[in-house]
Amino acid sequence: MTDFDEALTVFAAEVGPDGPVCVRGGGTRWSLGGEAAPDTREVRAPAGIVAFEPAEMTVRVRAGTPVVALHEELAAAGQRTALPERAGGTVGGALMAGESSIARLGRGPVRDALLQARYVCADGRIASAGAGTVKNVSGFDLCRLLVGSLGTLGLVGEVLVRTFPVGKSERWVRLAGTDPGAVRSCHTAASVLWDGTDVWTLLSGYEVDVDEDLGRLGACEEVDGPPELPLHRWTCTPAEATAFDVRNGTAGRFVAEIGVGVVHASEPQPSRPVEPGVAELNRRFKERFDPTGRLNPGRDPLRRP
Amino acid sequence: MSRTLVAATRRVLGSRRRGDRAAASPPAGAGDAALVADLVEAIGSDRVRADTASRYLASRDASIYREGNAGPVCYPGSTSDVVACVQVAARHGRAVSPRGAGTGLAGGAAPLGQPVVLAMTRMDKLLGVDLDNGVAWVQPGMVNLDLSRALAPHGVHYAPDPSSQAACTIGGNVANNSGGPHCLAYGVTSAHVVAVEVVLSDGSVVTLGDLTAEPAGYDLRGAFVGSEGMCGIATAVAVRLTRNPPAVRTMLLCFDDVSDAAATVSAIIAAGIVPAAIEMMDQRCVTAVEDFAQAGYPKDAAAVLLVEVDGPAGGVAIASEKVAGIARRNQAISVRTAADEDERARLWKGRKSAFGAVANVMPDYYLHDTVVPRTRLVEVLERIYEIVDRYDLIVLNVFHAGDGNLHPILAYDSRVPGTDERVHAAGREIIEMSLDMGGALTGEHGIGVEKREHMNRMFSAVDLDQQSRLRASFDPHCRMNPGKVLPSAHSCSDIGALRAADAAGVWG
Amino acid sequence: MHLGLDDDELVACVSCGLCLPHCPTFVITGSDTESPRGRIALMRAVQNEGAPVTEDLIRSMETCVQCRGCETACPSAVPFGHLMEGTRAALADAGRITPRWQRLALRMLRHRRLLLAGSTLLALAIRLRLVPTKRLGLPARMPLRRPRLRTSGDDVWLFTGCVMDAWQRDVHLAVQRVLEAAGAGVEPTGGVAPCCGALHIHAGLESETKAMARQVMAGLSGDDRPILVDAAGCGASLKDYGHLLGTDEARAFSDRVYDVHEWLAERLDELQSRRPVAPLKLTVAVQDPCHLRHVQRAHHAVPAVLLPFVAEVVALDDDGLCCGAGGAYSVMEPELSRAIRERKTAAVVRSGASVVASANPGCSLHLAAAGLEVRHPLELVDQALSASRS
Ligand SMILES: Cc1cc2nc3c(=O)[nH]c(=O)nc-3n(C[C@H](O)[C@H](O)[C@H](O)COP(=O)(O)OP(=O)(O)OC[C@H]3O[C@@H](n4cnc5c(N)ncnc54)[C@H](O)[C@@H]3O)c2cc1C
Ligand code: SF4
Ligand code: SF4
Repeated sequence: MTDFDEALTVFAAEVGPDGPVCVRGGGTRWSLGGEAAPDTREVRAPAGIVAFEPAEMTVRVRAGTPVVALHEELAAAGQRTALPERAGGTVGGALMAGESSIARLGRGPVRDALLQARYVCADGRIASAGAGTVKNVSGFDLCRLLVGSLGTLGLVGEVLVRTFPVGKSERWVRLAGTDPGAVRSCHTAASVLWDGTDVWTLLSGYEVDVDEDLGRLGACEEVDGPPELPLHRWTCTPAEATAFDVRNGTAGRFVAEIGVGVVHASEPQPSRPVEPGVAELNRRFKERFDPTGRLNPGRDPLRRP
Repeated sequence: MSRTLVAATRRVLGSRRRGDRAAASPPAGAGDAALVADLVEAIGSDRVRADTASRYLASRDASIYREGNAGPVCYPGSTSDVVACVQVAARHGRAVSPRGAGTGLAGGAAPLGQPVVLAMTRMDKLLGVDLDNGVAWVQPGMVNLDLSRALAPHGVHYAPDPSSQAACTIGGNVANNSGGPHCLAYGVTSAHVVAVEVVLSDGSVVTLGDLTAEPAGYDLRGAFVGSEGMCGIATAVAVRLTRNPPAVRTMLLCFDDVSDAAATVSAIIAAGIVPAAIEMMDQRCVTAVEDFAQAGYPKDAAAVLLVEVDGPAGGVAIASEKVAGIARRNQAISVRTAADEDERARLWKGRKSAFGAVANVMPDYYLHDTVVPRTRLVEVLERIYEIVDRYDLIVLNVFHAGDGNLHPILAYDSRVPGTDERVHAAGREIIEMSLDMGGALTGEHGIGVEKREHMNRMFSAVDLDQQSRLRASFDPHCRMNPGKVLPSAHSCSDIGALRAADAAGVWG
Repeated sequence: MHLGLDDDELVACVSCGLCLPHCPTFVITGSDTESPRGRIALMRAVQNEGAPVTEDLIRSMETCVQCRGCETACPSAVPFGHLMEGTRAALADAGRITPRWQRLALRMLRHRRLLLAGSTLLALAIRLRLVPTKRLGLPARMPLRRPRLRTSGDDVWLFTGCVMDAWQRDVHLAVQRVLEAAGAGVEPTGGVAPCCGALHIHAGLESETKAMARQVMAGLSGDDRPILVDAAGCGASLKDYGHLLGTDEARAFSDRVYDVHEWLAERLDELQSRRPVAPLKLTVAVQDPCHLRHVQRAHHAVPAVLLPFVAEVVALDDDGLCCGAGGAYSVMEPELSRAIRERKTAAVVRSGASVVASANPGCSLHLAAAGLEVRHPLELVDQALSASRS
């Protein structure tokens, strides 16, 4: 147990014990899971890096910090986190949205990134979940529950996030007119994207290994980065993503994340059926954690595409 | 109830003792006759045992906790068997405690208050391998190592490899969110479980998570993993398959001084290298292990590090060179690389038999598995030796050094009066020291019953209240494996579901 | 009840469970009552905590195959064999296990003539289809006449034992020919040393076993020739006399005992040097008898000896899990025994081999009864040698 950072206590006071409230981060995924109910008070989470420990491979950061700013700081030590960088997107927002970066294949999903969370509960008190270490199974896993919860269970003020070394060599390449199987043998592939025609891949690792994979790929063109991604984010199984063009009638232009199961498409994903038992459990969680329904009313993670 | 059923029930209750004591006491579990009859009717007499020996043995796991008290023990063969057992138990107002192989080290599988025990060992099948989605569906009773062996022909494996992997089950791994040497680079169980089919306390079956990248709703799968049997019974698990690395190099680094070894660990991580595994053993442990495994560990080294680097060949060569360099700068007396797969297997066998081998030193052991910041290992180890010396005990250190997950094993002989008290006092000091260093109570073994009362030291009342909400969302009536993890004040309100423990245990 | 077990041996188990997957009965039932760890815990409960000896506790002990797979798996070196033998001895003494008829049957094994006569009768009965061989796990055909064993020299003893001598004398003859091909003069023990007592000690008849051990030792004293054994169970038993009797003489005796493969593996050059041998065109799966693998720990010798004489030797992928034969176990616990065997036959099928080589007669009978083609490893070697001889 620790004394909380002052910024956190201030944040908790702002959230207070009652009344509908939500946190505005960068607003980059503002409509995820529905629109905020009218009359919802918007607060902002504190910002700033509290402690970066490169030798521990963790960073303690306030939720309102922009991910890009955080990564700039970590880059000095050759590290980064698994959080996706969106212009203006905050650490807290990225965690609450729970959407992984396009390099999830290599960097892991957002849900495995959160080690400790200090958040304001529905009753206005501050709770701490997880531990200050890279490994911990002391009690139930509230951290995993919070990731992707859209701030409907608690409002996160400060987190400890896992960091890892950035590949010594990172190169995006494009393979024209091929299918994703072409990249299968590349062990350094941290991202494989496919638009039905071309394949983009991010090779990341030691230089020798990246070079060897480049050799393996043969004819390919080095590019600055991934292709432009269509607006809407679909989620499906890896197998469905690989076979996406076959059934993309309604999706429009698309870029599929191969090996992951996220597809970026110009049309929104039709809503997915939810098992009644799962819906019931979701309801019970919301009710137990936020009995009056004051945390981010209007948003529901079940309604996330 | 049909006559055959009565006969079957009687057979299951067993224990008509022959000889002198027969008349003196009724058959064990007689009070459960109606419950047992219903269980037998639900899943068949060959899947229910209520005799004293079965209950006695289902009351314990690999921890030193011995106060468990099992009711009838069921061996379901399918999800519907599990549903049936849960429903029967609910009808009789009894709790349910799941059990895997009973290798847990925190008493998680020790049932409290005579619940119906569900031993999942017979649900041990590989249900299917889905290479396109990179998952395999397995039943919870499947042994961890059997899974990796079954996957081998596909060139993939299941990454979490607890040292007990030859015996522990996937269900137990999921419930404890188990780790293992290779979890340093690959992550613990939670990172490898994609979906779980669960039977909830009301007998309903739900699948938490799915094979899609980001399932809708709360991450219930994530909330379930590590819930120590208190949120439901896992009846099928979709595990993530990990591609076998193209190259592996395993190194044994030996040191004259424990601090040098610990400093090497910190330096490796600080250099931005993430090996697949960094394990450490001190001299006492090496000596205990070597006789069994003949792994070729030098018994005269004060400490050894087992470091494994994997990935594409080029990087493996670079990283292992760097590791060797760091070790030498930290006064390593020798750096040896396993020459072939055989030698590598032997080195790992030595590491993985360490806990068991302790008995070569003393008949009992008690261990904690606190986690400390990995930059503070030198200091922490010194403190541990100091504490243990003060209590005049013996400690063997063998642990997942790379992520700071300690396993100080206090070896002792409980037959010597007063020893138990000293062992517990020393254990408590180690916990408090670890937490004071900014650490965690347990890194992979779980809280179970043994560490329940230490939870207050790590978490505030608010924190614990939040945790109990998670549990109650899954199991509002607290019927699943009650009495674990949360300290008594935060346990379920209707803990009355726990029958008053029978002081005499199952023999009573 | 005090089981008379050594307290240090008894408390050596730390309940880690690493033995569980190596226990054939646990693998089948998934219950701790049928596991090494559970059995030890029950022994402790009885001896140290005064728990009553209930029926179910006895069942837990009776279902143990005594394969000792748990012993090699145990990092704490728990001497499970001793503990189980001690427990059974105490239970047998108290009249709780090993019923009278079983004791009588076992007694017969010491009387060679009686055994041989009885076996001939049995063979006859089998021919006349008077005995349900399948159900009793008996071989479908047994020899009516037994070829004579003869002495060819005095380099080594070949221990011939009881049931094996009566039922599988062909194997002894083949073994003897192989030994001779390696240049050794062989004297079969025959009536000099009638029975090793393995089944007796398993049944808890300790004092009887001791008497038999003394008889065998007396019969083979007077020189220090190596005593070669072609049945893994007997070999394990003879090697344990030192521990059983605890005398210097017995220990010296046990030191002279070798599994025949163990002895031959050191003399492969002699075996091959005489003339070139064409390997048999067979893929052979080696079944490791528990008493060779877990007790004598000499199982590596079998593939080593076989390798030059057959096209391919394959190992089974089941970590040497017991086949369920266990001496009299297949008769006493037919259901479990059969369930255990099914796993073994599945492993054999997976291996793709056409023949199984087993260095223990009990295992061969048990596996053959499941329809597998089973041969003693040295029968195959003998076949290869004699093919190249002609
Ligand atoms: C020698 C040794 C070495 C070990 N090494 C490690 C290690 O390196 N890393 C590590 O993390 N642990 C280790 N452990 C601890 C232990 O092996 C793990 O915790 C393991 O995951 C337990 O699995 P099990 O099948 O034995 O489960 P059990 O001990 O039987 O049960 C553990 C918990 O899981 C619950 N449970 C079991 N099955 C289910 C199910 N189907 N659904 C819901 N809940 C269930 C039980 O109720 C209990 O709470 C070691 C233990 C030993 C003895
Ligand atoms: S017998 Fe050995 S392997 Fe089995 S539980 Fe006991 S100590 Fe562990
Ligand atoms: S001897 Fe064999 S059957 Fe008996 S407990 Fe050990 S492994 Fe199991």
